[in-house]
Amino acid sequence: MNKPKIKIFLVDDHPLVREWLANLIHQQPDLVVCGESEDAPQALQEISIAKPDVAIVDISLKRGSGIELIKNLKAQHPGVAIIVLSMHDERLYAERALRAGARGYIMKSETAKKVITAIRQVLDGKIYMSESLAAVFAEKFVDGRLLTSGSLVERLSDRELEAFQLLGNGYETRQVAEMMKVSMKTVQAHCAHIKEKLKLTNAAELLREAVRWQENHPTN
Amino acid sequence: MVNLFQINKRRPRSFWVVVCFVATAAVGLVDYLTGFETSFSVFYLLAIGLAAWFVGRGFAVFVSILSVAVSLGGDVAKGAHFSSPLVPAWNAVIAIAFYLVVVWLLTILHSLQRELEARVQQRTTALKEEMAERERLERELLEISEREQHRIGQDLHDSLCQHLTGTMLAGQVLEEKLAARNLPEATEASKVIELVEEGINLSHKLAKGLHPVEMEADGLMLALEEYAATSSELFKVSCRFECDLPVLIHDTATAGHLYRIAQEAVGNAIKHGKAKTILIRLDASEEGAMLSVKDDGVGLPEPPPQKHGMGLRIMAHRTAMIGGVFNARRDETGGTLVTCELRNKRHSGNPHRE
Repeated sequence: MNKPKIKIFLVDDHPLVREWLANLIHQQPDLVVCGESEDAPQALQEISIAKPDVAIVDISLKRGSGIELIKNLKAQHPGVAIIVLSMHDERLYAERALRAGARGYIMKSETAKKVITAIRQVLDGKIYMSESLAAVFAEKFVDGRLLTSGSLVERLSDRELEAFQLLGNGYETRQVAEMMKVSMKTVQAHCAHIKEKLKLTNAAELLREAVRWQENHPTN
Repeated sequence: MVNLFQINKRRPRSFWVVVCFVATAAVGLVDYLTGFETSFSVFYLLAIGLAAWFVGRGFAVFVSILSVAVSLGGDVAKGAHFSSPLVPAWNAVIAIAFYLVVVWLLTILHSLQRELEARVQQRTTALKEEMAERERLERELLEISEREQHRIGQDLHDSLCQHLTGTMLAGQVLEEKLAARNLPEATEASKVIELVEEGINLSHKLAKGLHPVEMEADGLMLALEEYAATSSELFKVSCRFECDLPVLIHDTATAGHLYRIAQEAVGNAIKHGKAKTILIRLDASEEGAMLSVKDDGVGLPEPPPQKHGMGLRIMAHRTAMIGGVFNARRDETGGTLVTCELRNKRHSGNPHRE
């Protein structure tokens, strides 16, 4: 008659946050905290025993990085839905966390009201993020900035694509110039064109897109 | 004159010994040729003076005696007659006494001058040491304040914000319990949660002010962009950030210093320069990276006034600390241009990979 409760695992290095997050979750009739941990190695070990449905993970942990933990969890326990709960700015970390395999991102400043909503939404198979972050992603999508290999190749010239790939592979701007046998000025011009074509506003975005694209197309 | 002495001091003593002998011989020859009636004693002073100044007191006394001997010998050879042998002896004693007084005065003068030189040297060294010490202290002060700000920012972020998050969650637990019992206090609990939420945002902002650049290599680009936007809004100016090529600063301390330099330069542009348009640029170059802040204000006065000097000096210190080259000058267009150039391979372009 009783549906089994949904199991949640907490990974956060601050005891007070863990304690009250657990209290809040226990207050929900259908949710239960099945374990908690303050660092990444311990979390990985315990999660394989506790087998939770959802893991709530902080990005900065005592030992190990949250992003690495998400990648490892994603690889070893694909059935666990991961929600990131972090003090860090979502504009800087959310995309990276979601790409690593998280299904939700909550800023700690809006935890109280959102955490239960996020858990339920993620359990429904949806991705949870704040409205402002969703708006940023939507804008990127409309601008055509969410890149696919086909559209990218179509829009960039061969030389621009080469520079873009080299940047994404982690080469310094100077090295890109050397490898393409052109001056820094030319690389600069290529970057300006790429930014224009892909509607990127600044060099930081350009770099992120390049790294992201390269991660998704490692054979290129 | 002093310069002449200093230049000549470098020559070896033997050189001066020879010069003294030659001078004495030359004067003696002229003395001999002009006959015994004219006195040449003053001209022997040249060799005696040189001996006293450049060689030493003993040699000067010797040259004095030699000069008297040469002079007397010349007179006698030229056929001088004296009514009594006491006369040339008397003249010789008088001349020697005169020369010795000159030698004595010159050696005193010489030692005084040497003492003075040594003292100036000492003072200069002390002053240089003091200046170096002051610069070191200023630098240390900067480092300490940087470290402290960083620590406070980190603490705010890591412990206060987390503590408040815990508090907010506790409030949420309470609110849900109250709401479950349909108690009106639930709304008040909700209000408390909102207040704590504001507290978190506030301390988050404070932490950001104290520790503005995120630990990531592209953190500086993002931080500067955000700073330009905030400044535009806050000071009602047009402050833009431009960065054509990705510039990655892998060292957090370096990124922090560059951020503070930009902040100080923008602050100066608005406060002292009355600028309306400010452009912050971060450029990658063959050698490394370059931060520049250009404004359309009144420009840097020439020379820079003392009271504004502190900000410039701190920017220069920061640049020195990260091994860069600092420059602040009046731009061709009239405003101020502040540049900070880093020539270090690790500062440009290596994207952060996880």
